[in-house]
Amino acid sequence: MKNINNKIHLFCILVTLVLSCDSQLDIGPEDSLTPDVVLSNAALAEGALVGAYARMRSDNVFNGTTQLTQEWMSDNVNFLGSFPTFQEIRDYTTIASNGSIGAYWRDHFFIIASTNFLINTLPITEISDLTDSDRARLIAEAKFIRAITNFNLVNLFAQPFQVSGGTNEGIPIVTEFFEGDIAPFQLGRSSVNEVHAFIEQDLLEAIPNLPEAGSRGRASIGAARALLARLYLYRDQFTEAADLANQVIQSPQYELASDYTFFNQDDASEHIFQVINNSVNGQTSGTGFSGLSNAAPIGRGDAPFSQNLLDTFAEEAGDLRFSTLNAMGTDAVAGTSTFSTKFPDGVNLSDNAPVLRITEMYTIRAEANLRAGTTLGDSPLNDINLLRNRAGLPPLTTVDLATILNEKRKELCFEGQRRMDLLRNGMDLRRMGQANIADAAFGANRTILPIPTSERDLNPNISQNPGY
Amino acid sequence: MMLVLLILGTTSVLAQSKTISGTVTDQNNLPLPGVNVLIKGTIIGTQTDFDGKYTIKVDTGQSLVFSYLGQKTEERSVGVSDVINIQMLPDAQTLEEVVVVGYGEQSEKKIIQNVAIVKEEAIEDIQALSPQDLLQGQASGVQVVGSSGVLGSASVIRVRGVNSLTGGSNPLIVIDGVPIDDQNQTLGQGGNTGLNPLSFINTEDIETFTILKDAAATSLYGTRGSNGVILITTKKGKVGQRTKVTIGFSASVSEATFLEDILDIEQFADFNVTRSNLINGTNITAEDLGLDGEGFDWLDGVTRKGISTSEDFSITGGSENTTFSLSVNHSNTEGFVLGNQLEKTGARVNIATQANDWLRAGMNLAVTNTLNDRISVQNSTFSPITVGFLQTPNILPRDANGDFVNTGFIANVLAIEELDRNEVITTRITGNTFVEATIFEGLRAKVDFGVDRTQIEQNNRSVEVNTPGGSAFNRATFINRHLITATLNYNRVLQDHNFGVLLGTSYEETRNNRTFVSGTGFLSDQLLNVRSASTFPTTFADRNQTRLYGQIFSRVNYDYKGKYLLEGSFRRDGSSRFGANNRFGNFWAVAGGWIISDETFMEDGFFDFLSLRASYGTTGNDRIGFFPSLGVFTSLNIDGLSGLEPSSAQNPDIQWEETATLDIGFKSGFLNNRVQLNINYYEKQTDNLLINVPLPRQTGIGVLGFNPVLSQNAGEIENKGFEFDLTTINFRSKNFEWTTKINLSTIENTVLNLPGANLDEEGRQFIAGSAVQRAVVGESANSFYLIRYVGVNSQTGEAEWLDANDNITNMPTPDDRKIVGDAQPDFYGGITNTFRYKNLDLNIFSNYSVGNDIYLGGIRFTDAPIGFNLSTRILDFWQQPGDNAYFPRLDGTTAGLFRTRSTNQLKDGSFIRLKNITLGYSFPKKALENISFIKGIRLYVTGTNLVTIKNRDLGDRDPEVTNNTNPLQLGESFFVAPQAKSYLFGGRITF
Repeated sequence: MKNINNKIHLFCILVTLVLSCDSQLDIGPEDSLTPDVVLSNAALAEGALVGAYARMRSDNVFNGTTQLTQEWMSDNVNFLGSFPTFQEIRDYTTIASNGSIGAYWRDHFFIIASTNFLINTLPITEISDLTDSDRARLIAEAKFIRAITNFNLVNLFAQPFQVSGGTNEGIPIVTEFFEGDIAPFQLGRSSVNEVHAFIEQDLLEAIPNLPEAGSRGRASIGAARALLARLYLYRDQFTEAADLANQVIQSPQYELASDYTFFNQDDASEHIFQVINNSVNGQTSGTGFSGLSNAAPIGRGDAPFSQNLLDTFAEEAGDLRFSTLNAMGTDAVAGTSTFSTKFPDGVNLSDNAPVLRITEMYTIRAEANLRAGTTLGDSPLNDINLLRNRAGLPPLTTVDLATILNEKRKELCFEGQRRMDLLRNGMDLRRMGQANIADAAFGANRTILPIPTSERDLNPNISQNPGY
Repeated sequence: MMLVLLILGTTSVLAQSKTISGTVTDQNNLPLPGVNVLIKGTIIGTQTDFDGKYTIKVDTGQSLVFSYLGQKTEERSVGVSDVINIQMLPDAQTLEEVVVVGYGEQSEKKIIQNVAIVKEEAIEDIQALSPQDLLQGQASGVQVVGSSGVLGSASVIRVRGVNSLTGGSNPLIVIDGVPIDDQNQTLGQGGNTGLNPLSFINTEDIETFTILKDAAATSLYGTRGSNGVILITTKKGKVGQRTKVTIGFSASVSEATFLEDILDIEQFADFNVTRSNLINGTNITAEDLGLDGEGFDWLDGVTRKGISTSEDFSITGGSENTTFSLSVNHSNTEGFVLGNQLEKTGARVNIATQANDWLRAGMNLAVTNTLNDRISVQNSTFSPITVGFLQTPNILPRDANGDFVNTGFIANVLAIEELDRNEVITTRITGNTFVEATIFEGLRAKVDFGVDRTQIEQNNRSVEVNTPGGSAFNRATFINRHLITATLNYNRVLQDHNFGVLLGTSYEETRNNRTFVSGTGFLSDQLLNVRSASTFPTTFADRNQTRLYGQIFSRVNYDYKGKYLLEGSFRRDGSSRFGANNRFGNFWAVAGGWIISDETFMEDGFFDFLSLRASYGTTGNDRIGFFPSLGVFTSLNIDGLSGLEPSSAQNPDIQWEETATLDIGFKSGFLNNRVQLNINYYEKQTDNLLINVPLPRQTGIGVLGFNPVLSQNAGEIENKGFEFDLTTINFRSKNFEWTTKINLSTIENTVLNLPGANLDEEGRQFIAGSAVQRAVVGESANSFYLIRYVGVNSQTGEAEWLDANDNITNMPTPDDRKIVGDAQPDFYGGITNTFRYKNLDLNIFSNYSVGNDIYLGGIRFTDAPIGFNLSTRILDFWQQPGDNAYFPRLDGTTAGLFRTRSTNQLKDGSFIRLKNITLGYSFPKKALENISFIKGIRLYVTGTNLVTIKNRDLGDRDPEVTNNTNPLQLGESFFVAPQAKSYLFGGRITF
């Protein structure tokens, strides 16, 4: 019997080893933090804001896909690539289930969610080492990010203010942070005027608490004012637009660069706000600025100059905006095309995305002054000649809206501004000799993108744009 | 062996050595060949010959042990006589074959769990790289879909259908009692099928599979039992078995089963010229389009005949106390797709010993090294097959000097496969050690310690011509799992009452570590690793772990006279995956059976064997990620700053899925057991379905670039079906035998409800698995949801679809989608015919699947002029009224819409396939008599996938394809490489 007891003892010891494992089930993730931890100190709260900026790296928002999409919806880029979703947009045969457009929509709301987390929780959370001024700054930066993201969205998915005075459907205005209930995230669309008012309010609330200077990859007073200037311009509020553009131009933080080497320079005073990419944290796919707009094999060779843009530059010889910023190369269909060199790193996709730069402020001031009949800051002619001088072109003697838009086109081509500059001036997106002219006419259904099927499948309250 | 003989030689000086001979007969006094005759306490022995005769040298005082399967073992001590004749008697206990079940064994006759058993003889002729391939078509209720012809890609195994929508639907795999890690290591290169987690198992080592199907069998595996459990038993030595040495070898050649025709340069030029002129009203020529030059056949360029060889060597044997099995194997397999190769080397040791009269111990250990020369697949412009179809024939891979060129977006896969490195090296160690003590008669205690360690090393390098500046990445993944299981087993016979009790507890821990680095900017193509790069875009390391605690599990069985059988089982599991609210779960099952043929009233009846069985019980499924209950922020950086993004939403109440299974069936044998028919019916209902419910996009929660989802227990799904297994001995004589085995499984999958999911146009809740597939309430979880394509109008030349109201339209929209098909088959199974004539044997094995639809996404590219090469189908375009064309008029408005996702890309995927045909010849014993050391030679030829009967509409396309192991994306293909067709010659020599 003793022998049996020994065996039982042996077994019991082994079983006890196993049974003592109960408490070991309580383990957690090693590479993530819960929201209460994120709000436990100032450095982590700052991290949540950096996360919002980091989400701006999405190619579908600021890093090039949506920008270049708008360039080939209009007249600047001849899209040659093989992505059917991009071809659909080029050919004005887009359908609502276009997966690329679903991703554009989605990624904008990702940025907005990150900002809503801060905007909603910071005012009501005790964080011992967070100063009041830093708290206000974090909220202000978040509001700037939310404003510029909403502005991008409404421009893509709604007809411009000029179509029906802004009373048409815009986008949903999301202000909550998700905590389990989906109802606040199945919103219908507010009108374009309501969306613009919300953006304006965010920017006006942000300005007092934003820094004057700092990284050009972060929100600043200048960035908020520059965006306001753009917003007012898009709303035909020319006096306000000229005033704000002028305020930014007057700021000692910004200066018109003397040449075109400022692209990808983090601290060049040309830049008001840019997404600062590097090879480690760069554009998020091969279909952003650098991937699409470079010749093969460095890039995809998908998005060369359109013939129309080449012709525009050819009208005046010696334009440095062309001669110093283009390269011939192999395109996506194994032919030879002309490519922009604004975003040369097709391998590591590290090129910065210019979002707001001082050149645009000069064009806004010029256009707004011209339309308002004012000369706030300076005359439209002087502003345009300043840009032409930098481009190595002789000064003009008179300017009109067409010349201003033409100079702006040559300054900002490949940066994603062309489509809205045309539409808000009641112009068609395509020029004579290009395809789909009727489809691309001002106010036509497919000059704006469809509300994605992926959104409509999950949200019974949202309406589709006409024609989709 | 020599050493042992020498020692024996010396001892024989002391003892009296003599030669004993004799004859062994069975109960009917007929000679019994092949009986093991062993000197007790040694490994020295012999076997009886054809006439039951043996001769052996022994010492007086030693004993001889005579053993034979199904007979009672006899023992005789050597005395004065030189002759020992033995008459062996049948052993009632061992006559009933024993089946491995969860945490133990049961007699095949008395088992009332629903298990499918696949034995060595069913699989020994099948050429397989992985255990999944062996299982295909072998057992009812087990569906295996080979994902593609790419070596090392994961197959899809489903035991009784899809039981989970997002929680993972793979069965649990247990090797010699150790549940192994089967996470798909996707290491994605375009596809989502990933690397086969089971490819490390040497298929030659497998003795049997036991597939646990009903709850009575699986509830002992608790939170992991819902998808079924596959127990793999490896070959072991047997007590008293003469040591057997086996050498096997084979060589084979393989090619693609099906490849479609694509346009050559002339056809491509003609088509584009015609199209361009039609659309633009011009009159250009091939020269104007630059298509008048020399062309290249890319599809031909990326495929080849793959040559493969394999060798294996094994020794098995056993003395009275110790059994052992050693094996070594090596194979080198070349795929039919350029650049795809798999080299595998493995070794296994299984050893067990009865240390004394109460203690038994043993160890099983296997080490495998796999080198997989990979290729990109499916939705990747680096995938040879995809590029083979899509690269236009005017693009040449080499320049005039014969050097490779960069072909741009659609990569030059010839250059990539020739110059780049793309390899995965996997080393896997699995094993367990056990100690088992008999505490008193009937009570055994066992402790088992198991390990499973996987090391995956991935090395990629792209050279200058393919990536300017060069690029590389190196990845290391380690998966460490260990577990400890303790069980008590008690068996007692009280007259006609048989009791058995199993009681156990277990703990298991899995740790995953990953490290990844990438680099660009190399000075030379000869600098291979990231260390030589100038820029390092990605560095990454993470770690996570799971712990599973089987607090208690138990099984109790009872039978009366072996006729009336009852069984109950229970398990309580705790898992670190779930929130504190729902950490532990209880699972249970009951089963009953009645062996009717043992009743006296059945004695002279029609049936040789007849039993009825029923069971009901619950199991779980815990495969939903690591910490699904937590809402967390994870790292997302910019401009050198650390940031955090809200990457998941919290759900503290989340818990395992629970499946309740009802199973009833009967087993029968009649006509002298020449016909055996088993039929089962089951209903499986899974509640608390783990679903990654898509969140409205406006929530913005998730990892940037992915759609927002919330892990929830929301929904119920039901699977039901019949399973038939029929074995018939059609003809049996001395020289000729013909046996047929057929299995057939029906499956009906219905989503019962999906609370919280969204409503489709018709008000049904659904979850979209892909752009074309949905789980819809009231319908299959794998319903295809597409616009209905009608065809090309022969008068207008425009393509036509049906809109939501069944009217013809030329402008289909997503709102016109309907449920149009189901990726799950109505029934599937396998048929095996075995013929034996004297020493020749012929095995013909077919598998089939009927009633499943497949979606071929590649048609949207090969059948639409969007800049790629095209299938020859497109040449059938509409030209004039009256044409019944495949493709609409080239200058029409629907030519661009033709590629819209619709039923035009949906095909009937039914097939029956001659999976394996083997003709073998075993040399007669007489022919080998002169070569005394060789005991057997068998030579065979095997053909795999030689014939496939399928729907004509499929054309030259393989029906057996899948893009993805995701249970919600069944039967979808995007340029999936077809299955391989192969011809093999092999041999097996035993000593």
